[in-house]
Amino acid sequence: MKPLILMVEDDPQIRRFLRAALTAEDYRFQEATTAEDGLTQASAYRPDLILLDLGLPDRDGLEVIRGVRQWSTAPILVLSARGQERDKIEALDLGADDYVAKPFTVGELLARIRAGLRRSATVAPGAVFQFGQIEVDLEKRVVKVRGEEIHLTPNEYKLLQTLIKHAGKVLTQRQLLNEVWGPNSTEQAQYLRVYIAQLRRKLEQDPARPKHLQTEPGVGYRLVTGE
Amino acid sequence: MRHNVSDIDTKDVQRPGVSPAWREAAFAITIVAIVTLIALALRSYLAATSLAMAYLLGVVAIAMRCSRRVSVAASILSVAAFDFFCVPPYFTFVVSDYEFLVTFGAMLVVALVISTQTARIRASALHATEREARTQALYRLSRTLAGQTRVFDAARAAVDVAEQVFETKVLIFLPDDGKLSFRKRTADYVPVPASEEHLAQWVFDHGVKAGNRMKDFSNAAGLYIPLRGAREIHGVMCVVPGSNSTIFLPEQQNLLDLFANQTALAIERTISQKGAEDTRLRMETEQMRSSLLSAVSHDLRTPLASITGAASTLRTQSDKLAAEVRHELLESISEEADRLSRLVANLLDMTRFESGAVELRRDLYPLEEIVGSALQRLEPRMEGRAVSTVLPADLPPVFVDDVLIGQVVANLVENALKYTPEGTPLELAAETGADGVILEVRDRGPGLAPGEEDRIFEKFYRGATKGAGGAGLGLAICRAVVQAHRGSIRAFNRPGGGAVFRVTLPSGNRS
Repeated sequence: MKPLILMVEDDPQIRRFLRAALTAEDYRFQEATTAEDGLTQASAYRPDLILLDLGLPDRDGLEVIRGVRQWSTAPILVLSARGQERDKIEALDLGADDYVAKPFTVGELLARIRAGLRRSATVAPGAVFQFGQIEVDLEKRVVKVRGEEIHLTPNEYKLLQTLIKHAGKVLTQRQLLNEVWGPNSTEQAQYLRVYIAQLRRKLEQDPARPKHLQTEPGVGYRLVTGE
Repeated sequence: MRHNVSDIDTKDVQRPGVSPAWREAAFAITIVAIVTLIALALRSYLAATSLAMAYLLGVVAIAMRCSRRVSVAASILSVAAFDFFCVPPYFTFVVSDYEFLVTFGAMLVVALVISTQTARIRASALHATEREARTQALYRLSRTLAGQTRVFDAARAAVDVAEQVFETKVLIFLPDDGKLSFRKRTADYVPVPASEEHLAQWVFDHGVKAGNRMKDFSNAAGLYIPLRGAREIHGVMCVVPGSNSTIFLPEQQNLLDLFANQTALAIERTISQKGAEDTRLRMETEQMRSSLLSAVSHDLRTPLASITGAASTLRTQSDKLAAEVRHELLESISEEADRLSRLVANLLDMTRFESGAVELRRDLYPLEEIVGSALQRLEPRMEGRAVSTVLPADLPPVFVDDVLIGQVVANLVENALKYTPEGTPLELAAETGADGVILEVRDRGPGLAPGEEDRIFEKFYRGATKGAGGAGLGLAICRAVVQAHRGSIRAFNRPGGGAVFRVTLPSGNRS
C-alpha cells in the first residue's frame, strides 16, 4: 500500500500545491487545517509521515509534535518560515525529524519526504554503511576512505556512528551532545564543533566545503549520504 | 528683568572693603586729635587761620577713607576743636573776635564740600570696579554658555561660572515632563534640605524668586531663582548663601538675576537647536523612506509582473503553446518567485536589524564551518563557478553569531557571482590578523569604480558596474551585521584586476 501522509497546514494555497505534488507521486494523503484537527486525524489514520506547519491558527504546531510523540514514532517533517532557528531547534528537540524552510521547492520537499519514509523503514544494524568514498563497518568499527583505513578517536567514531544512525536527518547540537557525550554535556557545543571539524578533516575531500558532514546553521548537523 | 531689591532685608549687610562705622569714627577722631596736637604745638607761632588749614587737611584725609556721614561729623568736630583749642580765649567755645565766625563758617562749608565730593568720587570708583567685575562675570558666563549644545551641559556650565563668581554653592534643577525633576540636577550632592524640593517646585510653578531672605519662604536655607526664558521656565537655580552674605546686596542680587536669565536663554537656544536637528533627521528619514519605497516598489513589481504575465499566459492560452514555450514560462515563474523571495528576505533582515530586533547569539565557531555552510547554501546558484577556499588549519575560532555571519559570507559570494563575468574564478581566503580573523572574498571581475569603495555598502546603492538587478541591500546587511559584531568590512580593488571584500571578525582568542 502507498504511504499515507497527513498534512497539517492552514494556508489553502500551500495545501493546494502539496496536494498536487503528493498526488503526482502517488502518495495517499489526509488534510488538517488546525492543530486540534491534526492531532485527531493523526490518531485516527495513523499516517506514515506528518507534514506540519508550525504557525497554526488555534495552537502552536509544537504541541502537535508533543502530542503525537506520546504514542507514535511516525516521522514528522516541519514546514517552517525562514530565520526561525529557535522554533526549528525546539521542534527537533521535541522529536520532529526534519524541516524544510518556506519557501521551498517541490523537489526539496519530496526528497525530505522520501528520506523520512526511508528512515522509518529502519536501517539494518551491523551492516557496512557506505556513502561517497567512505565505508564504515559498524560491526568491526573500521572506517575506510577511498579504500584506505583511517584512524578515528573513540569520540570521533561515536559521533560518526550517531550521525550514521540518523543519516539524512538533522540532529540538533543538543541531541548529538546527549548521544555522544551524555546528558550532562548538552551545553558544551564547543566540543561538538571541534570534533565535527576533525571528522571533516579526516573524511572530507575539502573540509571547507563538506559533501557529507553538513552544517545546518544555527540548528545542528546532518549526514548527507547523497541522493 | 525683575528687580527684587525691595524684597531684600539689608540691615546687617556689610560692604566688603569698607570699614565698619565704629572703626571709621575712631580713625576720624584720631586724625582730628593729631591735628589738634600739632595745632597746640604751633599755635604760638602761626596765625589761627593757618591752623584752620591743617584741620581742613585732616578732613581731606578722613574723607578719603571714611563714609560721608563720618566725614561730615569729622568736619563739624574739626571746627569745634579749632574753636576750642586754637581760637582765643583757649579751652572755651567763647569767641572774643567775631571775625572768627566767618572763618568757622568758611571752614565748615569747605570741610563739608570736601567730604561730600571725596565720598562721591570714591563711591563712583567703587561702582566702576563693581560694574567691571559684573561685566566680566557675565561675559564669562555667556562665553561658556555659547559652546553648549545640550541642556544639561549648559546648566552645568552656568553653575560652574556662578559658583566662582558668587563664591558659594549653586545648583540647577531641570524639569522633566513639565514637572521639576530633582534627579535632573547639576550636582550629585544637594546642599539644601530635601524638604526644600517643594519650594523649588513652587518657584518653578510661580516663576517668582523665593527662599532665604525673600518675601516668600524666607526661612529656607537656599535661595531659589526661576530660569525664565522667553517662552517658559526652564528650571530653577538654587543658591546656598552659606557664610557669604554679600550675595544679598542689591547689585549681587541683580547679577544673580542676570545669570539666571542668561542661563535660561542658553537653555532655550539648545532646545531649539535640538528641535532643528530633529527636524533635519526626520526629513532625512522621510527621504530615505521614499527612496526605499521607489527602489522596493520597482524591485517588487518587476518580478511580480513577470510571474503574473507568465502564469496568465499559461492559464488562458495553454493549449496554443508549444511544450517548449510552456516550459520556458514555468521556468521564468519559478526564477522570478525565487528573486522575489530573496528580496523580501533581505528587506525583512534589514528592517529587523535597523529596528534593533536582532539579538546576536554569539559563540565560538570554526570559520571553516561557517564558510562551508554558506557555500553549500549557494551551490544551486554557483553555475559551475570555480570557488577556491584557503583556510589555514590553525585559524582561531571566531566569536560570532553563526547564522548572521554565514549570511554575510553568502551575500559577499553572491555579490561576487552577480557582478563578475561567468567563468571568472572566486577565492575565499582567511588569515589571522591583529584585530581578529580576516576573511577575504576576492574576484577577477571588473573591480570597483573609483570612489565606490564606501558607497557600495550604503542601502539601495547599486554598483556602477552593470550586474543583475538587486535591491542594493546585500552589502548594507553585511555591514550592519559585521558592525554589530564590532568587526569591520571594507572593499578595495585587487592588484591585477578584480575586487576584494575584507571582513575582520573578532576571534575567540580575545574573548
